[in-house]
Amino acid sequence: MKDPTPTTRIRNVATSESEVRDPLRRQEHAAALGMWLFLATETLFVGALFAAYLLVRITHPQGFILGSRETDIVLGTLNTAVLLTSSLTMALAVDRQRVDMTRAASRWLMITAVLGLIFLGIKGLEYTLDWRHGLVPGLHFEPVGGQARGMELFFFLYFMMTGVHALHLFLGIGLVGAFAAMLQRGRLGAGNPAPIENLGLYWHFVDVVWIFLFPLLYLVHRT
Amino acid sequence: MSERSAARRLMGVWALLMLLLALTVGSAFLPLGVGNTLLSLLIAAAKASLVVAFYMHLRTGSAPLRLIASTGLLWLLLLIMLTLADTLTRPSVSAPW
Repeated sequence: MKDPTPTTRIRNVATSESEVRDPLRRQEHAAALGMWLFLATETLFVGALFAAYLLVRITHPQGFILGSRETDIVLGTLNTAVLLTSSLTMALAVDRQRVDMTRAASRWLMITAVLGLIFLGIKGLEYTLDWRHGLVPGLHFEPVGGQARGMELFFFLYFMMTGVHALHLFLGIGLVGAFAAMLQRGRLGAGNPAPIENLGLYWHFVDVVWIFLFPLLYLVHRT
Repeated sequence: MSERSAARRLMGVWALLMLLLALTVGSAFLPLGVGNTLLSLLIAAAKASLVVAFYMHLRTGSAPLRLIASTGLLWLLLLIMLTLADTLTRPSVSAPW
């Protein structure tokens, strides 16, 4: 005979029985839920830029092709590899913290922060080259060939989107560094994986945004 | 699952991500026309799914968690659809003054 008590119904909604019984696990679940909600709002923040990109690409297809060819595909690919690798080291940090190996977690976090800094360094180098090639709308824009208007719009979006991404990464690096130091000093001890897990969610989100930026900005039409 | 295999799985996902990156860069130099954009976006979606499922643990996440996570995508789709519905279907009329 079925048991229609409220407990049964809660169990159907929550992941597992342990989560219902264990208040700590339930708290962790709530923390992850809040983080994902924040990331949903972040999706809309960068999403507005993606919508603008789509609209301008539809109205200026040639300018986007020529603009995209001016981006540095070697540095862009290298940077994508760096960021994907930083996601691995972040995931490893979360994995170590889960099994209470705070020292190892702190080490992986520091490697993650260094990879983030390398990404920003390469991006800075790219911006410098863009400036030299006269690809900065409003300040120093001298495109070669026609389609100047479309290319200008492409590079406006290029700087806006990569700039917003770099700002998010910059904040992420600061947070990762701070959490690495806290783990080192034992201020965030064992048995408390939720803060590092949420930090990881933020880091991976910034990585996912780049995963979409890379083909849209660097690989429009290379042939 | 043992500790070792969890770390190994994360590294396996990284190897897949690198493979997909090589694929997307390589495919950009093939003359496929519109196919280039579609293929590169498809690969990007695959990479993002790997990160979200394995690194962000949505694969083992609860139903409410997945629901909340997918709302971001839903609103993003609405945002893009309504923007395009407005801007692509109306002619631009210059002001009469």
